[in-house]
Amino acid sequence: MSAVGTAARPIEAGGAAGFVRRHWPWLAALAFAVVVPWFSYDWSTGRHSGFIVSMLSQIGISIVFALSYNMLMGQAGLLSFGHAVFLGLGGYVTAHVLNATKGGGVPLPLELTPLAGALGGLGFALVLGYFATQQRATAFAMITLGIGELITSCALMFQTFFGGEGGVSTNRMTGHSLLGMGYGAPIQVYYLIVAWTALSVVGMLLLTRTPLGRMANACRDNHERAQFVGYDPRMVRFFQFALSGLFAGIAGSLYTLTYEIVTYDTVAGAMSANALLMTYIGGVGVFAGPVVGAVLIVLLQSWVSLLSNSWLVYAGVLFILMVTFAPMGLTGLVLMHQPIWRAGRMGRLLGPYLRLLIPALAVTVGFVLAVELCSFLTIGAAQGKSFTLSRITVDPRSAPPWLIAGALMVGGGLWLRFAMRRFGATWGAVSEEIKRAEVRA
Amino acid sequence: MSTPALRLTDVRKSFGSTAVIMGVSLDVAAGSRHAIIGPNGAGKTTLFNLISGRFPMTGGSIALHGRPIDGLPPHEINRRGLSRSFQVTSIFPRMTVFENIRCGLLWSRGYKYSFWHLMGGQRTLNDQAARLLADVNLETRRDVPAGLLSYAEQRALEIGITIAGGADTILLDEPTAGMSRSEANHAVALIRRITAGKTLVMVEHDMSVVFDLADVVTVLVYGQVIASGPPAEIRANRAVQDAYLGAPAEAA
Repeated sequence: MSAVGTAARPIEAGGAAGFVRRHWPWLAALAFAVVVPWFSYDWSTGRHSGFIVSMLSQIGISIVFALSYNMLMGQAGLLSFGHAVFLGLGGYVTAHVLNATKGGGVPLPLELTPLAGALGGLGFALVLGYFATQQRATAFAMITLGIGELITSCALMFQTFFGGEGGVSTNRMTGHSLLGMGYGAPIQVYYLIVAWTALSVVGMLLLTRTPLGRMANACRDNHERAQFVGYDPRMVRFFQFALSGLFAGIAGSLYTLTYEIVTYDTVAGAMSANALLMTYIGGVGVFAGPVVGAVLIVLLQSWVSLLSNSWLVYAGVLFILMVTFAPMGLTGLVLMHQPIWRAGRMGRLLGPYLRLLIPALAVTVGFVLAVELCSFLTIGAAQGKSFTLSRITVDPRSAPPWLIAGALMVGGGLWLRFAMRRFGATWGAVSEEIKRAEVRA
Repeated sequence: MSTPALRLTDVRKSFGSTAVIMGVSLDVAAGSRHAIIGPNGAGKTTLFNLISGRFPMTGGSIALHGRPIDGLPPHEINRRGLSRSFQVTSIFPRMTVFENIRCGLLWSRGYKYSFWHLMGGQRTLNDQAARLLADVNLETRRDVPAGLLSYAEQRALEIGITIAGGADTILLDEPTAGMSRSEANHAVALIRRITAGKTLVMVEHDMSVVFDLADVVTVLVYGQVIASGPPAEIRANRAVQDAYLGAPAEAA
């Protein structure tokens, strides 16, 4: 109790030491982001692993995108189905600015091009947000869905701005740089992304602590009450929407700088769904939640898609499980343990957790096996691949692997239900003990 | 006589074909404590909803300090110095108690929709919020999410949010509803203290609270005012006794 209380106070242990103590997870993440490409550095060729750098760049872009989505979802209680519009439009604006720079039009240093994306995202969010934020709740969600569809179809119709199906190609080596860098190598762009991601994270974090940020929370909690303390919830939604579009535009700029091409799928529904997925899985209730979600989803996307055709199935199932069992996301799950951790009773849960782990693993293995069998029966067969597990070739047309998958899922599922009930009982008992101990104290 | 804080002229409200408020005219003198009583369904809360702009009126007009406020949205009315609480507790449940109070203060302190002020650095604002927190006796619950407070604490917080913006006209809708006797006594003392020098209009069912706090009592029955005057006069009024008070008045 007192730990949280003091952390929330405006006046805290000052100086650099206090700053480090309060923000160490962010600083550690930043240090990790700076150092991690060097683990994949090949000294003989003098190059970084393209795969790792590309994945890390994507993580940075996704962090900004997911956090900007949570400005609506978690902080203002607004469910948007069209957030990719502002990422995509920020990306298109950036591509045009880069092309203009290359053509000698605007001598904008490459380091500052995300500002163009930010302005693009902000501008379009001001216009489209004016309509969307007239409403809240379901009506708002429907309008954003409409806006998403509208801009996606525009992207295919208006060739001069969107470039049709081929999109707009560009070249980030404009020759204009504040630091005198060429930005031909992906690693240089990656560090630019790290810098802009850090800036955006700080910006969005600070925004939560402003009057607008707090009133966004207030309107989320009780929009009617907000009116009776003098605020027009519509204006709160409008400003919050516009600023969230600004940060999505920055994410779009970073996207363009990384891939040097923007196509219509950057504004499309699947991209918007991605933001929702990352934010929800990471957790909408904690500022850092979408960061966790972005990292996890990009890792899934990059690594699992190498191993399996079915990565989307796994992401979808993970999403359904999270919505059903942990609506506050991964960070919410972690925070649930806070009182037990502080009471020093985590040990009590260790055994029950291990007992959950075994049936959970069985169900997971059974499910993955079933999905992969399906996949090899259909797509795999078409691609001429064969299903091998540590050099044993599995024949998806024979019965035994299917029986094993079924047995693991059914047996593991029944066991898991039993273990979950036992776990729930232990959890309840521990929470009860802590509550009683608090009352005594 | 000076301009009344609140003047209602022939206020009417119908939901569909059902008339709920049927021509209410009422003056609330600045600085007075005015109670509105009446049986269930008399339209007391509806009247509050009309005054505060939550519902549009069907007819009539309402003036705050002589300026008409009918047709204005709730936030505009609030900015002109009228603030209200709700019968069913209405707070910001996921925000801390301190944040709840601070949100009540923001507009009146001129922050508007600012996204360039950091709340932590606004010393005057934070001091004022802390003082209000002390006023409603919730200092020890400062960092607790408001949704986790006890019922009586939430009622106190609701009053805190209502008065935070410094409105000079306060509408309290059944501030002691659902409270135990000692909690209600506590709430009455609180209301008396924090509305000193302001205009208070309250809907209340608890007659001991009404006769304890109010300077003027208005009796509303079926959407019409049947009597209005000092508590002693209302208590003695035959029509009021017939229509409403009866046994509870003697019990009180």
